[in-house]
Amino acid sequence: MTITLTVNREERIFSGDPRTPLVDVLRDHLRMTGTKAVCREGFCGACMVHVDGAPMASCLLPVGSLDGAAVTTIEGVATMEHLNAVQQAFEDHDVVQCGMCFPGMVMTMSRFFQTNTSPDRDEIKAAMTGNICRCTGYERIIDALMSIRTNEVTS
Amino acid sequence: MQNNADAAVMNFPRRDARDKLLGRTKYTIDVGGSEVIHAVLLRAEVASAQVLRLDVEAARSMPGVRAIATWEDAPGAHGIGIADHPIFARDVIRYHGEPIAAIAAETLEQAHAAAQAITLELAPLPAVLTMAQALEKDAPLVHPDWKDYDILFEGAARGGNVAWEATVARGDTDAAFDRPDVTIVDGVYRVGRQSHVPFEPRAVVAAFEDGRHHIQTSTQVPWTVRHVTARVLNIPESQVRVTVPAVGGGFGLKFDCSLEPYAAILAKKSGRVVSLVNSRREEQMTCLCRENAEIRIRSAVTADGEIVGREATVLMDCGAYGGEQVFLTTMTAHTLGGNYRLGSVRLSSRAIYTNTPPNGAFRACNGVYNTFALERHTDEICDAIGMDRMEFRCRNVVGDQDIGATGQIFEGNVLRPMIDRMQALCAKHPNGRENGQRLDDGRIYGRAMTVGTWFIFVGPSAATVNLNVDGSATLVTSGVEIGSGSMMHALPQIVAAGLGIAPEQVIVKTADTDAAGRDLGVGGGRTTVSIGAASAAACDEVRDKLLAVASEMLQTAPEQLVLADGRVEIRGRPGSGTTIQKVVAEAETRTGPISGSGAFTAPGIEAMPGCAAGHFIDAIDIPVFAVHDCELAIDPDTGQVEILAYRVVQDVGRALNHRAIHGQIQGGVVQGMGYALHEEITINDQGCFDQTGFEAYRLPLAQDVVPIEFDLFEGAPSCGPLGTKGAGEVPILNVGATIGCAIANATGKQVSQLPLTPPRVLALLDGRDEPLALDHISAVWSNNTLRR
Repeated sequence: MTITLTVNREERIFSGDPRTPLVDVLRDHLRMTGTKAVCREGFCGACMVHVDGAPMASCLLPVGSLDGAAVTTIEGVATMEHLNAVQQAFEDHDVVQCGMCFPGMVMTMSRFFQTNTSPDRDEIKAAMTGNICRCTGYERIIDALMSIRTNEVTS
Repeated sequence: MQNNADAAVMNFPRRDARDKLLGRTKYTIDVGGSEVIHAVLLRAEVASAQVLRLDVEAARSMPGVRAIATWEDAPGAHGIGIADHPIFARDVIRYHGEPIAAIAAETLEQAHAAAQAITLELAPLPAVLTMAQALEKDAPLVHPDWKDYDILFEGAARGGNVAWEATVARGDTDAAFDRPDVTIVDGVYRVGRQSHVPFEPRAVVAAFEDGRHHIQTSTQVPWTVRHVTARVLNIPESQVRVTVPAVGGGFGLKFDCSLEPYAAILAKKSGRVVSLVNSRREEQMTCLCRENAEIRIRSAVTADGEIVGREATVLMDCGAYGGEQVFLTTMTAHTLGGNYRLGSVRLSSRAIYTNTPPNGAFRACNGVYNTFALERHTDEICDAIGMDRMEFRCRNVVGDQDIGATGQIFEGNVLRPMIDRMQALCAKHPNGRENGQRLDDGRIYGRAMTVGTWFIFVGPSAATVNLNVDGSATLVTSGVEIGSGSMMHALPQIVAAGLGIAPEQVIVKTADTDAAGRDLGVGGGRTTVSIGAASAAACDEVRDKLLAVASEMLQTAPEQLVLADGRVEIRGRPGSGTTIQKVVAEAETRTGPISGSGAFTAPGIEAMPGCAAGHFIDAIDIPVFAVHDCELAIDPDTGQVEILAYRVVQDVGRALNHRAIHGQIQGGVVQGMGYALHEEITINDQGCFDQTGFEAYRLPLAQDVVPIEFDLFEGAPSCGPLGTKGAGEVPILNVGATIGCAIANATGKQVSQLPLTPPRVLALLDGRDEPLALDHISAVWSNNTLRR
C-alpha cells in the first residue's frame, strides 16, 4: 500500500505495511530521529507530532490512516538559528537535562500556546500532563513556560 | 595554584540544549541507516530451569540472518567481587528474562523471526523468588557452585544464597543492650524495587574495525564496558574501544555493562555494524532496579536520648547475580550507620540471591531505603523515650571529631547547622498546622523533617587539557554527559577558571577510551569531584608551562603573572601582558604545543582497624549530608497523598552552578516522591515483573509535583576541586524517609513500608494493615551473619 503525506511541508511517499506506526516511518524510513519512541503506548508524549495542526502521539498512529495528512515534526518547527518561543524559553532557562522528552514537550506546548496565550501555572501543568519527564521534576520547565505567556508562539 | 574558585562560580548554560530542543542530538538509539543491522536477544521466559537442548541451526538459515551467538561465544563470567555472571545462560536459567542467544539480521523483524526458530528445551527447577525463601533452611541454591567462582575482591563472608555479607562491629553492643538504664527499640522495615525508566533504554552499536571492537553505547561507565566485554569474550582489554554519544538518562541503571558484549560478538561474527536496543518491555522487565530490601534495627537508648548500642541487619535482593548489590552491602555502614553518634554498633549487610532479574545501582543506592528505615526508627525511639523528634536529632547528629560506624573521624559540624538552616527556611512559612489536623477540605495534615548521610564515590579519574593556538582549550576525559549536566556545566567552568579563559572556550570531548585515561564512570556524585579534580590538575600543568614561556616573553617571574580573560598579565598591571594565543605560538617554537595531564583518586580516609569486614570502602572520603522537610495532606476517603510543600537543605561544599544544582534538586526530589508514593516493581509467582510498561508503572507527572524550596549549605570540608561535592545524586536520599515519617505523623500509625500507595495508606488509616513481620531476620543479631 502506498501512502502519500506531507512531512514538514514536503511530500513523502511511504510504501509498506499501513499498520506501521508513524513514529517508525519517521525514524526508520525517513531517518528523522528527533521524534522519540519511548513508551510506544501513548503515555509518555516523547513522540508527539502535529497532524493537520493537532498534537498527537505518533506511536499510536498507523501510517495508513494518514494519507493526505500534513505532519509536522520537531525537525519542522524551527531553524538552527531561530528557535520557536517554547524552545527559546527552555534554552534561556537552561532546563534541558537528558533531552529525550523535550522534542515531544516542545510539540505539545508550542501548540498549547497557540490556543492559550496567557495560561496560568495550573493550566500549563495540566497541558504538560501527557508529557512525562524523568529528569527534571517539571517545575523549572513550568517556570520557563510561564516566561512566554504573553509572547507569540509560532510553530 | 591561584585562587580561582570565585571565577568558577556562574550559571553557565549547557551547550547541548539547542540540539536537544531541535531534535538534532543523536543518542545511541538514533544511530542507524542502511549499513546497520539489527539484533535481538532470545530471553528466558521462566525463572528457574535446566537447559536440556539449545539448537540454533534452523535459525541460522532464516531470511536476513547474519550472525547468532550463544554461551560458546562468551566463555568468561563477570561480576563485582565475585565472577558469578555469564552473559548467556548455558546449562541453567536463573531468572525470567535471562539471555540465551543473540541474533543479528538485516531487519529487526527478521531477527525476531529467527529468534522464534531457535529450539530450546527446558526442565523446570524449583525457584526462590523472595529473600525469605532464599534464606530458608534447605532452600534451593541459585548458584549451587558458588564455592567455585573466582573471587575478585577478598574479605567477605559468602555461603549458599548469601552472595555477599559485609559486617561492622565496633564496641560491645551486648553490654549496651544489657544496661539497666536503656530502652530497647526494635523495628522492621521493607521497601520494594524502583525502576529507573531512562527515556533512552540501554542501547549499543558495535563494529569490528582494524582487528578491534568499537562499541558505541549508552553508558555511564565506558571503562567498565571495556573491561567486562574483554573479560567475557576472553580477549585483551586493549582490543575494545568504547565511545559514548549523548546518553538519554541513566540514574545508575547504566553504571553496569549490559548489552555491549552481545553486540560486540555479533559485529565480529557478521562483519557488520550491529545495533542492539532494548524494547521498552525488555528494558522494564530486566531493569537493574533499586533493590527491594528488608531491614531490622534494634537500638538501646538512654532516657536522655543517647544511643548506646545499635544492631541492624539489612537484606538486599541482588536477584540471580550479585552485581552492584555486592558492592552496595558496603554502604549500609555509612547510611544506616550514619546520621547519629553510636556508642556501639553491629551491622550485617547481606546481598541475597533469588531467581529474579538482577538489580543494580540507582541514584543514592542503598542510602534511600536505609535512610527511610533509620529515620522511621529514630521517630519510634523518640516516641518510646518521650523526646521531641527535632531535639533528639539535634542532640545526636554526628559533628566535628565524632566517630562513624566504622570508626572514621568526621570533620566539621555540618548536620547540626544544617538543621538550623532548615528551621529558618521553614520559619518563613508559618502555618500553625499540627500533625493529624483536619484541613478545611477534610484531608489530614502531616509533616516531618529528617536528616540523611550520603557520600561521594571518589576513585580514579584522568584528564588531559590541550591548549590550542586560538586560545581555546580541549578537555579530554572519559566523562559522559548522561543528562545531569556535570560535563556541560561544572567541568568547563573549572577548566575555564583554571586557565583564565571563558567557559565557552573550553571544548569538552565526549568519552572515548582510546583518547582519555581510565575513569571509574559517571555516578555516585563523582563527576564534578573526581573528573573535576583531574581536570584542575591538568590545568595546573598547562598553566605552569604557559607561564614559563610567558615569563621569558614578559621578563617577569612566573609567580608575578596571572591568567585572566584569555591573557597573561603582570600582577596588578592589567593590559601589561600578552594574549594566550601569542604565548602558545611562542611555545610552539621553543618546546612545542602546550598540554597537561592530571589525575585523581580516593584520598583514603581511615576507618578504625578491625571494625569492618567484607567492605569495599571502610570509610567515606567525602560525606554529604541532607536535611529535608515535607508537608503533605492525606485524603481519608482515597488514601491519596498530596505533597503541599517540600524543602531541602543540601551540603554541596561549594556551589559552582546554582541553577544547575536547582535542576538536580527538583528532579531528584521528584524521583524520590515517585519512590515514596507510587513507583514499585512487583514480582509475580512466575518470577516476572508485573509492570511491563508505562501504563502499569506510574511515574510522577507534572500535576503531581511542587516547586522544591532549597538552601545550599556551603563550606563543609571536601577534598573536591574548589571545595565542591557532587550535588546531583543526593537530592533523592531522604525523600522516602521524609514522606514516610510525615505520613506516620499525620496518621499516628506505624509506617514500615514504601511505597505508600493509596491502598496502603487507606489500610493504615482504617487499621487494616497487618504489622510487618520479618521472621527471617532474627532479633538476635549474630543469627543474621555467616561469621557467627
